[in-house]
Amino acid sequence: MSALNYVGSKRGKLVFAGSVYASLAALTVAFLFPLVWVLGLSLKTRLQVFADPPLFVWSPTLENYATVLQRSDFVQAFVNSMVVSTGAVMLSLCVGVPAAYAIARFPFRGRTFLFFGLLAMRMLPPIAVLLPMYILFSKLGLTTTRFSVILAYTTFSLPLVVWIMRGFFEDLPRELEESAWVDGASRQAAFVHVVLPLIRPGLVAASILCLQLAWNDFLFAAVLTNNNSRTLPVLMAAFTGGDSGTDWGGMTASGVLVILPVIIFSFAAQRHLVAGLSSGAVKG
Amino acid sequence: MAKRRSGAWLDRQFTRLAVLPTTVTMLCVFGLPLLFSAYLSFQGWSAAQGLFAGKFVGLDNFDDLLHDPDFIGSLGITFLYTAVTVTAELAIGLGIALLLNIDLPAIAVFRTCLVIPMMITPVVASACWKLLLDPGHGVINYWIGEHIVWLGRTDTALAAVAVVAVWQNAPYVSVLLLAGLRSLPHEPVEAARIDGASVWQMFWHITLPLLRPYLMVALLLRTIFEFRAFDNIYVMTGGGPANATMTLSMFTYLASFVRFDMSLGAAASWSMLAMSMLLCGFFIVTIRRRDTSA
Repeated sequence: MSALNYVGSKRGKLVFAGSVYASLAALTVAFLFPLVWVLGLSLKTRLQVFADPPLFVWSPTLENYATVLQRSDFVQAFVNSMVVSTGAVMLSLCVGVPAAYAIARFPFRGRTFLFFGLLAMRMLPPIAVLLPMYILFSKLGLTTTRFSVILAYTTFSLPLVVWIMRGFFEDLPRELEESAWVDGASRQAAFVHVVLPLIRPGLVAASILCLQLAWNDFLFAAVLTNNNSRTLPVLMAAFTGGDSGTDWGGMTASGVLVILPVIIFSFAAQRHLVAGLSSGAVKG
Repeated sequence: MAKRRSGAWLDRQFTRLAVLPTTVTMLCVFGLPLLFSAYLSFQGWSAAQGLFAGKFVGLDNFDDLLHDPDFIGSLGITFLYTAVTVTAELAIGLGIALLLNIDLPAIAVFRTCLVIPMMITPVVASACWKLLLDPGHGVINYWIGEHIVWLGRTDTALAAVAVVAVWQNAPYVSVLLLAGLRSLPHEPVEAARIDGASVWQMFWHITLPLLRPYLMVALLLRTIFEFRAFDNIYVMTGGGPANATMTLSMFTYLASFVRFDMSLGAAASWSMLAMSMLLCGFFIVTIRRRDTSA
């Protein structure tokens, strides 16, 4: 099945295929250029960064990376980002997976309420939740802790986990648990011993998508952290604050180090990307 | 014996226990905060006071908001920004998806490359573009051969922040639509081809209508997410120059966390919430109606 079938002659086919490749190549260059250029900047010395006209060929240096990795604030922010994102994923999985199972399998009172609550959590603007959250957290003495950021992240990661996992549970044949129930297993035993092992791919997909969102978040972390608990995006925003500054090498090198892990996780989950992107909007 | 009984109790209560943690979390991080900010929006309250020590002021906060030229300006800017970015993302995303749907060797390479921008941390993406657009040393000005202060001019700043959003999210739309294109039935296209329809006719009369549910989902998601635009604006312009990029999220952020006018911030938050709910409701009704009538 391809558009190629509609083009008659062999020469026509070649021209068509050629123009498709040419357009895709042009798009790829346009979309990747900013990244390639920034990667290039991160491999230049200070003088090379500001060379006029810009250098397109030079011998790359890793000194910017060495400098960034020696900065204690960068390392601290990296650790904070790791702790906060994995914490948010763990919390959302523990809280959300049983709920997703219940929503997929059993009718219960309040199902619609739960459904719309989660939809609203995902769809409504985070800034609107952040102000009261900040006030309540600061009265509880939680602000500036990494735990407060983990809690705040459940506003997006919990709905995501529930939606993705619900899809996986619905795709699982019912007979598997039913036979376990007939054999005398309780619902919780069937859930833990029969269902969970089978939906491991779903758990992986949900974790990676949540990890990506949590790693990339700026707004919650910007408000709920201080200099000790800030995450990488907050540190990056501080680097670029006001004027772009003069340490372009350091800034681009740290930018590359921030996006590298997220690109790796995302490729790992590429198959499941669509399920996550459309979560909450397609089924309903 | 006791153990057995507790097991049976667990078994009977399984559903309730399974949804309890989610319900509690939802109420704590979402329900209660929203109720509190609704309450706050009718109060004169400052952060130094106890939680419920504010004074009831009726609709004064909303009144202040409607008389605040920055807020009124931010409404227009948010709608303009949302309309422009969403249209561009859908148009470019659809184009990319149609190209990637053609079966040619090695097309997967392009598919992989073209999704990279959507994975990148928005703050980093915006910082990158800030360097590309730098007036003195940016590569974009070097190519044009002019010295344009993109982020410092009221007529270019909004477009510059919008470019970053489109760059990151057109790939997102293309991933969604490509999945849609892949799932379309082959028969209608085959039938039209046998009847001698041109490629353009087939696209306009068959593919596009079949793809409509996916387009609607993309439209809904992108509208909701662009309406709340914050990261790129914070990093690139901070809402300036002269409020040219002051979106509602930016206004609410500045009111709440820079000027610390929490009551005004709460009123602005609730205005945004109401608008988002209207948007969501409108889209959901449209999608449902199309689904049932088709």
